[in-house]
Amino acid sequence: MSSSVIAVDRVTKRYSGHTAVKEFSMDVPEGAVLGLLGPNGAGKTTTIRMIMDIIRPDEGRVRLFDGAGTGRELSARIGFLPEERGLYPKMEVLTQLAFLAEIKGLSRREAIRRGGEWLERLGLGEWAQRKVEDLSKGMQQKVQFISTLMHDPDLVILDEPFSGLDPVNTLAMKDVVVDFARRGKTVVFSTHIMEQAERMCDHIVIIARGEKVVDGTLAGIKAEHGKNHLALEFSSNREAAGAILRDPQLFLSVDDYGASAELQLAPGADPDAVLRSLITAGVGLSRFEIVEPSLQSIFIAKVGGEAMTAAREDNDA
Amino acid sequence: MHKMWAVIRREFVARVRTKTFVVATVLGPVLLAGLMIAPALLASKGTSGRHIVVLDLGTEQLGRTVETTLQAAFPGDYFIEVHQDDAARGEVVLDSLTQSIGATPESGRRSIDGIVVLDPAEVAQDRVAYYGSNVSNMTDMRALRRGLREALVAERLTELGVDLALVQQASRPFSLSTERVTDGQLTGESGESSFALAYVMAFLLYLALLLYGVQVMSAVIEEKSNRINEVLVSSLRPFELLLGKVIGVGSAGLLQLGIWVGTAMVLTTYRAQIASLFGLPAETILQVPIPTVTPDLMAVFLVFFLLGFFLYAGAYAAVGAMCNSLQETQQASMPVTLTVVVGFLMVFNVLGDPAGTMARAFSLVPLFAPLVVPVRYSLDPLPLSELVLSGLVTLTGAVLVVWVAGRIYRVGILAHGKRPRIKEILNWVKAG
Repeated sequence: MSSSVIAVDRVTKRYSGHTAVKEFSMDVPEGAVLGLLGPNGAGKTTTIRMIMDIIRPDEGRVRLFDGAGTGRELSARIGFLPEERGLYPKMEVLTQLAFLAEIKGLSRREAIRRGGEWLERLGLGEWAQRKVEDLSKGMQQKVQFISTLMHDPDLVILDEPFSGLDPVNTLAMKDVVVDFARRGKTVVFSTHIMEQAERMCDHIVIIARGEKVVDGTLAGIKAEHGKNHLALEFSSNREAAGAILRDPQLFLSVDDYGASAELQLAPGADPDAVLRSLITAGVGLSRFEIVEPSLQSIFIAKVGGEAMTAAREDNDA
Repeated sequence: MHKMWAVIRREFVARVRTKTFVVATVLGPVLLAGLMIAPALLASKGTSGRHIVVLDLGTEQLGRTVETTLQAAFPGDYFIEVHQDDAARGEVVLDSLTQSIGATPESGRRSIDGIVVLDPAEVAQDRVAYYGSNVSNMTDMRALRRGLREALVAERLTELGVDLALVQQASRPFSLSTERVTDGQLTGESGESSFALAYVMAFLLYLALLLYGVQVMSAVIEEKSNRINEVLVSSLRPFELLLGKVIGVGSAGLLQLGIWVGTAMVLTTYRAQIASLFGLPAETILQVPIPTVTPDLMAVFLVFFLLGFFLYAGAYAAVGAMCNSLQETQQASMPVTLTVVVGFLMVFNVLGDPAGTMARAFSLVPLFAPLVVPVRYSLDPLPLSELVLSGLVTLTGAVLVVWVAGRIYRVGILAHGKRPRIKEILNWVKAG
């Protein structure tokens, strides 16, 4: 096994009444971009907190950088953006960044220098001396990103990094994360937005009800599910396709978006026959493609209806 | 250590830069100067031209004697006037005089403040009456009583055939000077001034413990409600964070106390000059007793303040960690605040009897010792063995409280939602 930056070994965490994480294991190889996916309340945040040694597992253990220390001891090498993130509203932006870098071990002078550079880089240069409370929400989130990354960590752990960001800021933050990954750093982030994970990650772990249900490289997981999905986009006469798409002989599942759909072919179903019957019915198609399943459909297949209903217990972890 | 230093500095700067801190720091000395100047200023203005009429309804000598003794008894410019009249006209004259009490110039009457009625029949039964607008004025009534008493005693002695000159000789006043002796040495301090010092110290300690304790609590709540804690505890041990916070707020507190005490010293040293700025004679203000603070008293004060501060700041931090908002803390912090208040009330007991059983017992209770011991020490230095024992007990108490607070803090700062019950909190403390 190559050196893993994070090795989680059968950790279990119970809270009064329920088990948040149950015998969960995962390995994050160096340089990986790993997406930790799961519905709300699945145990993502609890897992990340155990990795960071903010809470202790009841059973099992976590090793970071081959046992070099706990998350807190290694905070100089780790950039952590928790789900619950806030800033001191009355502090000036640059002073705030300097403080947050200092508690990770940077010297004050170095912290101020880097903080200034990062603010320039993300277009917040003129806000350096302003109080945090004067910033817009989006700007505050940028500041939080900077505080996570400015000490140039080897491992970045982001808990729901893009939640609450507008598209423009999401793009900016995504670029920063991708840049980190390109420089060989290891990135772990949790999300429940599948498209994002699919575009950014090379490794995927899916967790549901505290247990791991999928673990592997994105390519491996997709290959495992085979090239048995059909992607359709409609140009006209969408209604005529209804009966065909609902045929259980042809499709195991349908993920219908209206103007487009992703369908899982039933075993033995012939894609050519599907195309023929669609054309016969007079459906206008702008796309007909046999594809690997999207992460979204793998996720729904694995986690099922739970994903829709498991919103409870997300806050106590 | 570097990390904790960053927390201390952040907390210190955050405290010192608030408006309340600046205002309170400046206002303290201003208030103190006011307290020093105001009494002297008022005394110098005095109550100008009070006028009391002694209505003598035929007592031969007593009226004159009363005039003399009252003149001596009342401070400032009281004008005592004797009006002699017939006992038969007493009612009428009294009635007319009564209407002059507090009369306005427009009424055409001259204004007087009070009437002492000396009716021989009443005096024979040891009774004197006073009618006046100032009957609720304690100082005036005390002076009136003293003056009348002196006159009546003299009158009675004369009646008994005692030579007044002899009596005056025998009852001439003497002065009792009280001088504090500490460690077999004269300190040149009067009893009065060291009492004042003890009182001021007790008040300062009480104020500081409450003020800075609550500041620690709101600092904890602030981080909690702004959701900063998780970022912090991923790099800092919760205990480091707690300690850094307590030390940071504590240093800001010490700075403020230092400024207050420092300016107080400057003000008292130059009080004569300050008095002259207000056009006051230097003597009036120099009469106010100013105690000297010995270095060992300063040390005891500082040590016990710090011990008390850590103890109460720890307790307040734990309360902060349990709550979700400032409103919640107001109720939850009651037990802690009440303990400080009880400690402060104890001090009054100690002031009465600094070496008594109560005082000694409370010196060994960590919760109260920080308030009680410095006050005791300023009045009557306790034996070194007792001082050390009390210090050790308090230190143990403070360490224990901070330790428990650390455990509650560690879990509490990440817990949101419903406030935990006592049982849950005990679990937090127990959990390794």
